[in-house]
Order: sequence, then C-alpha cells, then structure tokens
Amino acid sequence: MKLRRGKLLVDPPAASSSDIAFILIIFFLVCASVQPETGLSQTLPRTEAKEEKKDQSRNLEVSITPTSIVLNGSPLQLPRFRERLAEALARKSREADKVVVVKSAPDTAYDQWIRVSQAIDDAGGILTLELASERTITID
Amino acid sequence: MKIARRRFTASIPSFAMGDIGFLLLIFFVILARVQDDSHVQWDPAALPDLETAGAPMASVAIDSAFKTYLNGEELPNDQLLTRLEAILGDTPAGARNVFLKVHKEARARHFEPVIEAIGEAGGDLVHILEPEPETN
Repeated sequence: MKLRRGKLLVDPPAASSSDIAFILIIFFLVCASVQPETGLSQTLPRTEAKEEKKDQSRNLEVSITPTSIVLNGSPLQLPRFRERLAEALARKSREADKVVVVKSAPDTAYDQWIRVSQAIDDAGGILTLELASERTITID
Repeated sequence: MKIARRRFTASIPSFAMGDIGFLLLIFFVILARVQDDSHVQWDPAALPDLETAGAPMASVAIDSAFKTYLNGEELPNDQLLTRLEAILGDTPAGARNVFLKVHKEARARHFEPVIEAIGEAGGDLVHILEPEPETN
C-alpha cells in the first residue's frame, strides 16, 4: 500500500513586505528629487521711469509675431536674426546701448519667444520687454 | 516564607513598525505635494545649450490652461508681485532665483505680465526648459 505524503502549504514570509515597500518608496523619492532642472537664466532690468527713456532711440528693437521676427524693421528668419543681431551688438561698446527692446504680439507662443530671447542673450544683448500696456498708439 | 512574584516582560510589538512608517511616509508625501507645483500640468519648451538651474526661492508656473501658480498655489497675476516681494524679502541679488515654468503653447499675453512681475520683484529669472534633443 502506498502512503500519501501530507502536503504542507509553504507561504513566503510576508512579515517584511512592508519594510521592502518602505525602502522602495525611499529609493524612488530620492531618484525623483535628484533629477536636476535645466533652464535659461535671464537678467531683467526693472521698469524704467519715463525720463530715463531718452536713450531708447539708440536701442535695437525686435518685434515678435506668431509668424515673424523683425529686427529694426527687417523681417528675418531665426538663424539670420542671430547673425544680424550679433553684428549690430558688436558695434556697440557701451553696456547701456546693448539693450534690446522686445515687443511681442499678444499671440506670440512662448516656444518662439524663448528662442528669440536665447538668441539675444547669446549675442550679448540685454533684453527689455515693452509690454502692450506701455505702447503708444498714435491715430491721425 | 516570601513567595517571589513572577515577572512578566512586556515588550512593544514591533511587527507593525514597517506599516506605520509606510503610512507616515505616504502622509508626508501627500502633504508635501500640496506645497510644491508638481501637480501643475505643463509641457516645457525645448532649447539647446541649457544650464543646470540652482535652488529656487520661488517657483512660478503657467499651466496648459494658462493659469498662473506661485509655489503650486493658483493666484491672479495682479497678486503675483506682492507675493513674490514677500517671499524674496531682503535676500541679496544672485540668491533670488525664481523658476518660471511656462507651458510651451502659452501666449505672450499670458507670460509677459508674469515675467514683468518677477522683474519688478527683483527676482533672478530662470526659465525652466527641456534640453532639445541633438539632431545629426
């Protein structure tokens, strides 16, 4: 006669499962917090008083619209804009003359604006924003 | 004759300590999420040649619905300057980092007033962006 062997249920030890989960959470939290953020630093001059604006005619003017970049009245593509801006800024010796006044159309996307902004920064220009609320509209 | 009393050792059950620690951690993680801006939905714009940003004193975000957040708290643009000035206080220049996280589809009418407020508060503006993948 063959004797049947009694089957024993073997459970994996679950007592330390919560400790393992705890250690895993710590690991993923540390991994998430270690990821460095990358960016572009930008120095912004404070809003000028009206009497300080007398030098503004010498400054370069950049207009950004959703479809174009205009440097002192000339519409340009971004690579050409970089070249022309670098040339124009290289001719200016005074720090105050390196101010680049940027006017953006309200519909300009951030994606495009930041590329122009980086180009100004790379060329050594000092970006200044001219906001819609500050613009003067003359109607004949 | 003096009968010695039996001594019972009472030990604190340590079996559930792991579970308690786990629950406490979840609690603090949820609490921390309320203060940061990781819940803000935004897609960063991509640019080449970015630098690693330092530690911020404040973080301003514009999400995909073009709402403005300061340290994860939604607020109107006209309150941003006052709140930033309070946060930055008398911190010397160079240590007044303000991170700006703008959704890439945001328009100038959304982000320019925010940039103006950061500039007016004397913050050192850092645009948080994604490194552009290199094309061969």
